[in-house]
Amino acid sequence: MPNTFFRRVQELLGRDHGAASDLATRFRAFQAVLDGNNRTLEAMTEMGEKLGGDYLFDVNYTRSAYDVLFAAVSDSLRNFNLLTDQQYPQLKDILTRIDGLVQRMLTGSEPVFQGQVLFYPEITWDLAEEVGGKNYHLAELANILQLRVPEAFAITTAAFSDFIRHNDLAERLVGLGSADKETLEELRTAILAGSFPEDFSASLTAALKTMRHRLGREGKLAVRSSADEEDGDFSFAGQFETVLNVPCTVEAVQGAYKEVLASLFQANATSYQRQLGYDLGKLKMAVGCVAMIEARASGVIYTAAAGKDRSQMAISAAWGLGPGVVDGLTDADLYTVAKEGDLRLIEQRIGSKAQMVVNSGASGVETQETPVALRGQACLCEAEVLELARQALAIERYYKIPQDIEWAMDNTGRCYFLQARSLRMDEPTVDGSDKGMEAVEAGYPVLLRNKGIVVQRGITAGKVFILRHIDELEHIPKGSILVARHDSSHFVQAIPILNAIITDIGVPTSHMASICREFNIPTVVNTGSATEVLQQGQVITLQAGERGEVVVYAGIVQSLLREERLTGAKLRELYEFRRQKYIMRYIAPLNLVNPLEQEYAPEKCKTVHDLVRFMHEKSVQTLVANAGRTRGTGGFFNRRSALHLLVLPIPVQIKVIDLGGGLSGEGGGKEMGFAEVASVPLRAVLSGMLSPGVWQNEAVPLRGADLLSGMTRAEDLTRDGAAVLENVALASAVYVNMSLRFGYHFNMLDCYCSDTPRNNHIYFRFVGGAAAITNRSRRIALMDQILAEYGFALKAKGDLLVGRLSGQSSEEIEGILEQIGRLIGYTRQLDARLDSDEMVRTLAQRFLQGDYRVTP
Amino acid sequence: MTKHSIMFIDDEKIVGDMAKLSFEQDGYEVETFLDGESALERLQEKRFDVVVTDMKMKGIDGLEVLRTVKKLYPGIKVIMITAFANLDVAIEALRDDVHDFFPKPVKIKELKASVKRALGEA
Repeated sequence: MPNTFFRRVQELLGRDHGAASDLATRFRAFQAVLDGNNRTLEAMTEMGEKLGGDYLFDVNYTRSAYDVLFAAVSDSLRNFNLLTDQQYPQLKDILTRIDGLVQRMLTGSEPVFQGQVLFYPEITWDLAEEVGGKNYHLAELANILQLRVPEAFAITTAAFSDFIRHNDLAERLVGLGSADKETLEELRTAILAGSFPEDFSASLTAALKTMRHRLGREGKLAVRSSADEEDGDFSFAGQFETVLNVPCTVEAVQGAYKEVLASLFQANATSYQRQLGYDLGKLKMAVGCVAMIEARASGVIYTAAAGKDRSQMAISAAWGLGPGVVDGLTDADLYTVAKEGDLRLIEQRIGSKAQMVVNSGASGVETQETPVALRGQACLCEAEVLELARQALAIERYYKIPQDIEWAMDNTGRCYFLQARSLRMDEPTVDGSDKGMEAVEAGYPVLLRNKGIVVQRGITAGKVFILRHIDELEHIPKGSILVARHDSSHFVQAIPILNAIITDIGVPTSHMASICREFNIPTVVNTGSATEVLQQGQVITLQAGERGEVVVYAGIVQSLLREERLTGAKLRELYEFRRQKYIMRYIAPLNLVNPLEQEYAPEKCKTVHDLVRFMHEKSVQTLVANAGRTRGTGGFFNRRSALHLLVLPIPVQIKVIDLGGGLSGEGGGKEMGFAEVASVPLRAVLSGMLSPGVWQNEAVPLRGADLLSGMTRAEDLTRDGAAVLENVALASAVYVNMSLRFGYHFNMLDCYCSDTPRNNHIYFRFVGGAAAITNRSRRIALMDQILAEYGFALKAKGDLLVGRLSGQSSEEIEGILEQIGRLIGYTRQLDARLDSDEMVRTLAQRFLQGDYRVTP
Repeated sequence: MTKHSIMFIDDEKIVGDMAKLSFEQDGYEVETFLDGESALERLQEKRFDVVVTDMKMKGIDGLEVLRTVKKLYPGIKVIMITAFANLDVAIEALRDDVHDFFPKPVKIKELKASVKRALGEA
């Protein structure tokens, strides 16, 4: 913001009123907060763009870009503390912690926390790397969402490093890039033979004592992998070892711990890491020790049903412990729940569940024949399905993306969550790409039709390889279609050479299913008879459609193959690149979204974006609170009450703080109309907002999926939250700063509009929305297209748009402000309607021609 | 058709790795080097169609790579990328017949377009 303006404000406020120096100082602090925030957000979008995969960058770039961002947000914070009289001392601590996390990423240094064991209630937001993804998410379910999670503690990545050092293995983890099978096997053996540092054993002993105390002598544990990047961008589903039913003794847990660590270097896990561009030996393994549940039934929930409409949820269930489902051992029950409106069970397919996995005596688990009476019986009743669905939805809402959740139910019907991670999904195709379904070519016999469940859609051809034993994986020829009785996460080893996978038994919620989606391998499970119908070496074409259609033709159906196969290439990012990119997770996500919520507290800030948002909100509130005080009460607007309510015929209430010359008429009146607005820029933007037709009067119903991705409950929109939900304009004759909140999104406009063009500027920022992110991004694209017409320098990222313009004459500025006023009204609820990119172009064109209809 | 081959020289591994990944996707053959010395050695054994080099490196820097390549293998096009873009360096590189010059971070799409132009494909 131009310094000349601060000078003017100071003059304005200081000249005739000696007591106004407080105001001058505070207002300057306010402006400096805005300036720092703007610079922070610009640096953030810039970094997001450069680290997003489209650019070649080096580590120096990340460092210097982060330095710019950190300096900007530090400026903001310093001035914010000045403005608010240090009311929020927590923010400095949060910024320091964020900075620590980023610096650690930049330098690759060890975690600050050096303890070896952390019980779940002790796991806070900044300890994700220490406890690994799986532990971290599970702890969040318990600590934040208050969902039922078994008693558990994490063995940290620091403990892992201690173990590695203690056994002189550190050097052997370097340069494993092209290590052969033997080298990796030796490493596994060395880990399994490793001993524990004394303090590590002591911490573990103490933790297990606590566990025995809580679970009783007979209590058992599941010892599970939780690598530092597990359940992050990539699931690692089923790639590492989990040891079940482990007694609560130091010897037993140490043994299981080493098994889990050693699984870092087992064949499937190394193959997975290599395919995703990991440098072997760089992952740090934390481990979770989670109380075993005597599970009556277990299963997996996909909060968005794979390959289908996202408004449905899929719940699979089998008798006994989880491996029955996640390892695809049994033909599980599959329940489909509609998410829109009230949750409804719309379909249930009861599996034959011939086998079940149960605890085996003192330790370990075993697979048994399911008692005949139980086989055809549903594992869950409708009420249980819906209760699971309700809790799963809460998890999806919290993470704002569809989830892959493991659960178990004990004999009393109590449900526990054992894992939650992001569910990787295809973007649904816009045009119906299943055109080939009718195109059954003459001469291509259909071998299988509409049998099985599509896990990953796609059309492909190849020679059938029927897998009879897992050892045969190494012998599969390139380009094969793997046909197997059961699915297995070990298939990952063959994925680089496979064209597709088809199984007889399996559910779309298994570990293998997650992996196949990650690699975009066309996959169909549960066909019942593929291994019998298809012949070894037979050439077939598989068509797995988006809506769940499956056709297998004999021969190669060229006409179908024209559809390009999606490659897994975009997933194959490099470890170092991802590490740089991960810095953004401490910067860009916005967790504080609705100022109406209880959570709008300083201690809830977890990212730089949160800090910026929080500081803006509280800065405006501080000004409003002070401006509202009348003469003589010591408020910083000492002259008179400077706060007025604008009464306008539009669905938005705006309070104006008159900085001098912003409003005309007698200052005593609380309510004012458009006629009394004297501020040139405020008048311009309001006259745009008052243009006929720009506010879409009918409410747009948010769809179920929108609300899921939304941030809070719908009733919050209508609740009277006047105390916090204020739209505020600070105005002088030539300046305005407006903050407008419409429920879920937020506009900020800052404009100086004088007779000297070089002092003039418009800064416009828009963020948020309640609809799904695709729709929100489309709204941003629409605004981007419109504002570009006026020469704005624009930066857009996700649902954030920042626009800047300067040097225009006051007439030009006024014209543009009117358009912005119209745009503010026009886009208020537009995101929920933007169903295609085509619509974005159409509406942008219409808007520019003064046509504000939003119907397609 | 034989694949076009590209040599990438950058002292930061991440740059070469990313470049390799994205250019190989487009069907190029890519070799990466962390310093000018090993790159020039390799050029004695193998002929590349395009050399993309970082400017600032320890030992033999980008300008020296450019000069050597132009002297010994005048047919090879050289593209320079640098985090320390300044006009003097750019002018010097232009004098030495650099094919293109990009500040870092460089958009991969633009670099690809430049490589195509260097190969006479666009």
